[in-house]
Amino acid sequence: MSSSTDFHNQRPRFRSFLDRFSTDSLVAPDPLTDRTLVAVIFILTFIAALTAGLVLFGSAASARWQALLSSEVTVQIRPQPGRNIETDLTRAADLLKQAQGVTKVRIYSYDETMRMLEPWLGQSSSLGGLSIPRLIAVEIDSKSPPDIPAISKQLARDIPGTAIDDHRSWTRRLTTLGNSLVIASAAGLILVMTATALAIVFATRGAMVGNREIVEVFYFMGADDRYIARVFQRHFFRLGLRGGILGACLALIVLALLRFVVAGTDGLRDMFGFGIIDPLSAVGLAIVIAVLAVALFVSLLASVVSRITVHSTLSRLVLRTRP
Amino acid sequence: MQAHPNRWGGELVRFENVGLRYGAAPETLTDISFSILPQSFQFLTGASGSGKTTILRLILQSLKPTRGMISIFGQDTAQLDKDGLTALRRRMGIVFQDFRLLDHLTIYENVALPFKIRGRMESSYRAEVIELLKWIGLGDLLQAKPPVLSGGEKQRTSIARALVSQPELLLADEPTGNLDPVLAGRLLRLFVELNRSGTAILIATHDIGLMDQIKGGRRLVLQNHHLQVEG
Repeated sequence: MSSSTDFHNQRPRFRSFLDRFSTDSLVAPDPLTDRTLVAVIFILTFIAALTAGLVLFGSAASARWQALLSSEVTVQIRPQPGRNIETDLTRAADLLKQAQGVTKVRIYSYDETMRMLEPWLGQSSSLGGLSIPRLIAVEIDSKSPPDIPAISKQLARDIPGTAIDDHRSWTRRLTTLGNSLVIASAAGLILVMTATALAIVFATRGAMVGNREIVEVFYFMGADDRYIARVFQRHFFRLGLRGGILGACLALIVLALLRFVVAGTDGLRDMFGFGIIDPLSAVGLAIVIAVLAVALFVSLLASVVSRITVHSTLSRLVLRTRP
Repeated sequence: MQAHPNRWGGELVRFENVGLRYGAAPETLTDISFSILPQSFQFLTGASGSGKTTILRLILQSLKPTRGMISIFGQDTAQLDKDGLTALRRRMGIVFQDFRLLDHLTIYENVALPFKIRGRMESSYRAEVIELLKWIGLGDLLQAKPPVLSGGEKQRTSIARALVSQPELLLADEPTGNLDPVLAGRLLRLFVELNRSGTAILIATHDIGLMDQIKGGRRLVLQNHHLQVEG
């Protein structure tokens, strides 16, 4: 006997235990079809896993931006004839500091404000004392935020030309964008999974037709539908797992590359934050788990779909027919 | 060649006025009536295309008759559900004309297949399978695969697979069809040995020389869609 039989001799109990579950080899291997199916599952898993990873990445970035926006409001004071804007700024800052829920108030100096406008207006030195609106950045406790409308009303009453921007329109847009992203991705995932299931259905039917004689032999030896379904189910679970793991690995590599790109680019790093791109962060771990879960799900999908297909196909391939 | 009654009235198989037609064509089999008793030995013979394989398929329940009654192991097959059919097939062995071995499995795995299908642990049947393969002269080919075997070796493997679970009834479809007379005689003696150990045998063949080697063997002769029982 070959090495496999030597293995039998050495590990009879373990081998017997495995033997109970190993029915996959009973399906005749078809290298071309099997490799093609693994390749299809690999591609579809890669798309699905990458989508799942990007959804988590995008959702986390969106949540971070929303948190940043909702923890800060901006007060703008436009220059008014006959009023000293520096006095108005100080007075507004004092009022804001007294409000409950305000944690920090910072007045942007004239020079800082001019620097912000440089991209549009050019060097501040050439503008010489141009009268421009001034800003106060107000950090708030997002868990118990201040009464923004009341503050707004009081500022408008005491200091003419004051406007307060709590970024609501931006957070609303971001929320809509985030939700749209999740819905679109979920729809994409459903489509990819449906395509995977259909590929498995066709492959299973093909395998059953190709193994028709084997199925017939099984029947005549006393196999029931459940046994035959289990044989094919294990075969396709293995193929699904192989394709799924390959797809998930490639998706993880692409996501890791994305992390390096984000980490190495100043603007992107500031935009997404290091917490999101760190693989050891909660979001990073969630992405890894989601990608692996997609691979496992694809394998289970292959297994379940092939089992259902076998049962439905057997009723058509049924051998006990009236001529 | 002695037949002994059992709890189903002594019959493993009973056909009563069985008729079979394909579509609107005339009947392929007409009013077929016969029975197979435990431990009996019979040939099913007739010209090519006379319906020998069809009768085997009717016994195996891979075909349903157009009319008439078939009883297997005392059960009316018209009343059988899927589980009943599975249980019934587990009591029969079949040797296919074209062997139907699984080319990707070894000889050992092919012969052990009936046990595997029944969910038995390998440790419980391994010795039994190896002993049987040695008995039929394939002890040195346990790990060989069917594509490298000769016709005779394939045939013996197919027979071993049919026998390994010690069926009460063995059906063989042209088991010596592609073999030389010497090998065919050896295989026939193997069937006789099996019959002596208690298995009822039904061999479908058109080889008159083969049938003449067995004295006392019953002959079920198919001719003009009818069956005659001789002996």
